[in-house]
Amino acid sequence: MRAPSAIAVLALLVSACTLPPQDDPVALAEYQEVNDPFEPTNRFIFSVNLGLTKFVVEPVAVTYRDLVPSFLKNVVSNVIFNARLPLSFVHATLQGDGEAMDQTASRFFTNMLFLWTADIESDEPLDIEDAGQTFAVWADSPTGGGPYVMLPIFGPSNVRDALGRGIDFFIDPIGLATSTEVGIGRAATGVVDFTSRNIEEVRDLERNSLDFYATVRSLYRQRRAQQIRNDQVEPTDPAPTIGVDFPSISEDISQ
Amino acid sequence: MLTGSQTLIEQLASEAIDTLTVADLPAAQRDEKFRGLLQEHFAVTGIARFALGRHWRNASEEERRQYVGLFQDLIVATWADRFQQYAGQKFDVIGAEVVDASGEEKVSLVQSVFFTSPETPVTIDWRIGSSGDVYRVTDVMVEGVSMALTYRDDFASVLRKDGLPGLLIDLRDRAQGNV
Repeated sequence: MRAPSAIAVLALLVSACTLPPQDDPVALAEYQEVNDPFEPTNRFIFSVNLGLTKFVVEPVAVTYRDLVPSFLKNVVSNVIFNARLPLSFVHATLQGDGEAMDQTASRFFTNMLFLWTADIESDEPLDIEDAGQTFAVWADSPTGGGPYVMLPIFGPSNVRDALGRGIDFFIDPIGLATSTEVGIGRAATGVVDFTSRNIEEVRDLERNSLDFYATVRSLYRQRRAQQIRNDQVEPTDPAPTIGVDFPSISEDISQ
Repeated sequence: MLTGSQTLIEQLASEAIDTLTVADLPAAQRDEKFRGLLQEHFAVTGIARFALGRHWRNASEEERRQYVGLFQDLIVATWADRFQQYAGQKFDVIGAEVVDASGEEKVSLVQSVFFTSPETPVTIDWRIGSSGDVYRVTDVMVEGVSMALTYRDDFASVLRKDGLPGLLIDLRDRAQGNV
């Protein structure tokens, strides 16, 4: 009884997985670069997330954006931002980054004084750390987060970041100090706040990409690598060239 | 080399502001002016070729020509409109560094900041390829996200499924839908 059901579960998992193409080296290299073995499942979850965003989050976010006075939105955004700093401080500590610890701690307390007035997030850039980034720093591997994973509701992630997210849920000082209801309210407000500020950009992105799923996957990876490097820009490699090495298009250079 | 790269970006910025942000400029004219700047200062063919990945090698001359044209249309459709919303935001070039000076084509990086609002700085890094006194932008990185790489990953997904013919159809649909 048990064995057949285990086989059924296994069969289901495998059928929702794309298998590496073994006989074609080029296709295999591409498969490994994309690193998205759960792509069919991920795409399904992505489409559900998009539906949720369109029919639930966006209407709320647009109402919030257009009806709530900006000083109040600013306060909400400040409180949400500041509540992330204690966890970020924990991770700055775990990463052994003394400068980030100093900055995060002093910003947390200074921010308290300006919650009602300034726009504290963009005041001066501050790196926000999390468990996924801590793992990456420990492993010294900004891009080695494992297979891409699309999480329900939370969106793009990878194995390392998803695990980190789970851990952060349990070790977040603000989360530990408050009730579950407050935690849910905080998460929901965070989503509405973010969506209300970025709705146009996301729509533009969707309109201008051929495969929105693939574009989001690419952006997530690049952005995460950048956060892990604490915003040190690393030029892409390989990268486009002007084409001096490519005779048949060299007329493009001369004109 | 660094001076040349930095000059290119400063010149590009001032030309873009002068020509693209004119009030009441009809959309079609803005598109054409944007296309002019793109062709003059960006390594469009090089970027297009990079975004196509390994499929470039097997493409015919005719397919390459069509593809590069459609790729340009996509960039114009995506970016030209945004200059309409420009309202005097500050753009500062803050520095430049050499990435690779060993090859025939030298590579440098120009760092800049664009303030979408006085409180919101967005970092933009320009990758510049140069050969002799020809300088071209080969990639733009916004907050660390490479435009060239993003196009490449977007296209790769279509190419894997439908090959180059499928990509050309998608790009054509996109261009016609937006015009």
